[in-house]
Amino acid sequence: MNLSNVYELGTDNEMQIETGRPKTLIHIEGVNKEFSVNKNKITVFENFSYKIPEGSFLSIVGPSGCGKSTLLKLISGLETPTSGTINFDGQVISGPPKGMIYVFQQYTKSIFPWYTVLENIEFGLNTQKKNISKQEAKERCMEYIKLVGLEGYEDYYPSQLSGGMQQRVVIARALICEPKVLLMDEPFSAVDAMTRAILQELLLSIWEKLPITILFVTHDVDEAVFLSSHIISLGKAPIGLKEDIVVNLPYPRNQIDTRKSKHFTTMQLKLFSSIFSQEKGQA
Amino acid sequence: MLKRWPGFVLIIALLVMWEIASKTGIVDSVSMPPVSQVFTTWGGIIANGELLNYLLPSLGRIFSGFLLAALVAVPLGLLMGTTPFIYRLLEPITELIRPIPASAYIPVAILFLGIENEMKVFVIFLSSLFPILLNTYSGVRGVDPILIDTGRTFGVSKMKSLFKIILPAALPSILTGMRVSVGIALVVAVVAEMITGNSGIGYFILDMQRIFRVAEMFAGIFTLGIIGYLINFGFLKVEQYFLRWRGNTGGV
Repeated sequence: MNLSNVYELGTDNEMQIETGRPKTLIHIEGVNKEFSVNKNKITVFENFSYKIPEGSFLSIVGPSGCGKSTLLKLISGLETPTSGTINFDGQVISGPPKGMIYVFQQYTKSIFPWYTVLENIEFGLNTQKKNISKQEAKERCMEYIKLVGLEGYEDYYPSQLSGGMQQRVVIARALICEPKVLLMDEPFSAVDAMTRAILQELLLSIWEKLPITILFVTHDVDEAVFLSSHIISLGKAPIGLKEDIVVNLPYPRNQIDTRKSKHFTTMQLKLFSSIFSQEKGQA
Repeated sequence: MLKRWPGFVLIIALLVMWEIASKTGIVDSVSMPPVSQVFTTWGGIIANGELLNYLLPSLGRIFSGFLLAALVAVPLGLLMGTTPFIYRLLEPITELIRPIPASAYIPVAILFLGIENEMKVFVIFLSSLFPILLNTYSGVRGVDPILIDTGRTFGVSKMKSLFKIILPAALPSILTGMRVSVGIALVVAVVAEMITGNSGIGYFILDMQRIFRVAEMFAGIFTLGIIGYLINFGFLKVEQYFLRWRGNTGGV
């Protein structure tokens, strides 16, 4: 692939993002979050604000302890901010809202071990649509089983599946709810490198196929650049938002060609050195 | 089954030794009649229905006491496991009563409930209650918060989460509690029947000893062994069915 061509495509893509997807889906306004640990007050966010555009694939990166996962939990409604508000689709979030599904890092603890693959995914469906026939429900589940590449495994129990397959079940269970937003907390950190690469491509293809916004927490800069349309880099409070980046790499991406582009390497290195210097400063 | 042959050989060897010891007079054949005689007597009291007449009331008590205990302990355990206030309220008293051997409150139960069925079912109920209760609430408290948060992110109500997530997640622990309980229920039933009344397998064993029908006494004890084994075996099958998702390897 011609490099200048990549740059051009990249610029086009950026233009499209800025003009074609302008609507703010999630609006974080002046959020403070404090925890008390052993009687010590720890401030994770101080007056943090950010707007997340609809349809974006936003990765949240930063050094450990900067509050990446906390931010995701706050948006999901599983945690509440000490003060400030988070708006989702015009509504202030107070508890897990409809249209948002959180995908946990520890998929082995989030999957229902007493359900088969099919039943796990059906659980997701049942929380959304009440009035569909059994036959229809099964067909819908099979659709999503196919989407994540688990055909033939629908009657297996999680204990009979590999880690990567369990993570696919968890993703399918979330997607069948047709959420507007998928919140993913380091979803691929516990699977082996090759499985991770495959799941990354799978996730991208799903994101391109469906009208969905993905918020993705990762400690892996490489993963963030490969997947995202936007990346934010957080620093420890009171720094908050450190960098706000639009990734000018064309979609569809794939593990080989995207990584070949010079732009990918440059961006990855820049982001890496920024986080690395922060981590090093603390160590 | 085939791999267990050494165990069966040992049982047969011990029975043969018993037979020889009794016939040759190494042990007193009045206190310990030959095992062949025990088996013949056993066959006789099974055939004429005498054994069943004594066994059925015992089984009835065991299962009603156990069932009542499960019906109270599982909901109460769920409540204790999910509501911190209820837990703090009931946990100390549970821990105080639990270590008292069930046989110790038989005299109290006699004072209030008499010597018939009510007393026995009550004592079986009380002794079966605690293992189920304890295992239920510790099972519920042990449910991973991530599993509960998974329910929340899918918008599952608290009530639905209790039945769809917490109960199945705590089920292995609850079933273990039940299996322990049913074993205790058998012991307590026999003790209660030996102390008072004139029915049940416990009474039968004691009565046969008193009137020197020693072979019948042993037949009664053998019956208890078989019943205990069958109950445990049945329970393992139930567990296997309900926990089939755990897989042969015991899960990941």
